[in-house]
Amino acid sequence: MAITRRATVQGLGIGALLPLAPRLARGQPAGIRTRPIPSSGEPIPVVGLGTWITFNVGDDPVLMAECAAVMAAFFEGGGRMIDSSPMYSSSQPTIGYGLRKLGYPDRLFSAEKVWTSDPGKGGAQIEASRAYWGVDKFDLMQVHNLVSWEEHLPALLEMKAAGQLRYVGITTSEGRRHREIEKVMASQPIDFVQATYNILDREIEERILPLAREKGIAVIVNRPFREGDLIRQIEDEPLPEWLAETGARNWAQFLLKFIISHPAVTCVIPATTRADHVRENLEAASGALPDEKLRRRMIDYVEAL
Amino acid sequence: MSEWGTYTLADFLMFSPRVYFRLIERYNQEFWPLQLVFIAGALALLVPAALQASRARIAVLPLFSLAWAFCAWQFLWTRYASINWAMSYAAAAFFAQAGLLVLAALLPRSPTNSGDLRHHGGIALAVCGLLAYPFIALVAGRSPATAETFGMMPDPTVATTFGAMLMVGQKRLWLLLPIPIVWCLYSGLTLWAMEDLGALAPFATVLALLVFLVAGKR
Repeated sequence: MAITRRATVQGLGIGALLPLAPRLARGQPAGIRTRPIPSSGEPIPVVGLGTWITFNVGDDPVLMAECAAVMAAFFEGGGRMIDSSPMYSSSQPTIGYGLRKLGYPDRLFSAEKVWTSDPGKGGAQIEASRAYWGVDKFDLMQVHNLVSWEEHLPALLEMKAAGQLRYVGITTSEGRRHREIEKVMASQPIDFVQATYNILDREIEERILPLAREKGIAVIVNRPFREGDLIRQIEDEPLPEWLAETGARNWAQFLLKFIISHPAVTCVIPATTRADHVRENLEAASGALPDEKLRRRMIDYVEAL
Repeated sequence: MSEWGTYTLADFLMFSPRVYFRLIERYNQEFWPLQLVFIAGALALLVPAALQASRARIAVLPLFSLAWAFCAWQFLWTRYASINWAMSYAAAAFFAQAGLLVLAALLPRSPTNSGDLRHHGGIALAVCGLLAYPFIALVAGRSPATAETFGMMPDPTVATTFGAMLMVGQKRLWLLLPIPIVWCLYSGLTLWAMEDLGALAPFATVLALLVFLVAGKR
């Protein structure tokens, strides 16, 4: 039986948890930066929410509530895109829990992945993911790490044509299979590409980001903090005296500002378990952004630490 | 493949240490004091087996299969698999090991005597698995609620079972070793990726087994 947001909300009797819903359904908060998805022109906030590791909390009620609080802060702060994958174990049901608790905010932009080497199982996996989230359909479905992309991509494009998806994409991380990513970007009518980009891992600046601009493909950036390692590495170092010029107030925003200041980047998806961190991350989507000269200065500063 | 060279151990860790150890804590709280029942039951089997009671020696490994099956069902399958999809395969392997331990009753045993290094080593390993393993949580700086005990958690179950195998002088041991050894390596690497001091224990368990097997060979 298909799980719809209305049926689920009524069935669970969680109407009492919905006072947030009207606020979450409002339009884009003023000041938060958006970028258009090139294939449609639809604006999307430049900061989203990743769920790798952070949302994989099993059925622990305390940790599930923390994740729901992160999602509430995310939507309240103007965020839209939440990204997950069947590879992330319980992250999908955790997202579903949060969405039910928040009354399925209208502003949600759901980004999922298909991740199976058996092309025959792709459809069933997408349906299972949809049931976990409790959404009617996904906004974006990506082929995770290019696994069996030759078979999955035509199926996803068919689903898009049939109105079962809004966008189709491919993903990679940590610099893997970039040549193949470029090949798919150049030859397939995809809407999104997802790859790793941060102030120290800038390989995609060479070919993938220029190609994305040329082909009109939206870019999602994963691992902006190297799974937190980058923050841990530099958090005790002094912030630059010229920090205000970047528009950032702290290291996390400094690193995010660097990423979203690249004009080819559509959305960065930092993951966190803390609501205060998600607010900080979203703040990076407003205010000034560094120009090319300042970006170079930011790189030099971090590389010298 | 060159792509594999780009992965680090941490890339395979799909949950945080906080989530993992809270999972163990909640599991322990849910079943308390079953942990004590498992330890007492194992001691009731192992003490007569150590004293050369032949019936106990026949019964110990088949009865340990209950501990393996419980671990597979309640920890690996019902709980751990919720944050680590690979644990559904580990649960199947643990059930298979439980079956092998039942079959161990049909396998021959070599006579051991109390002077054997294997026999003594087995006793030491079993004692570590049963009585020392729960304190590793404290040594690693974790809450005692995350203590790992025989029958409840895989690592001490493996250590105690290795000890029992050595103690009872099981022949054709190679049939019973692959699954627990692979598990110890996996568990050790997982804990290592989480930077937990307890990572050393599964590696030490395998090392001790191999040392007693080789050194005790006559």
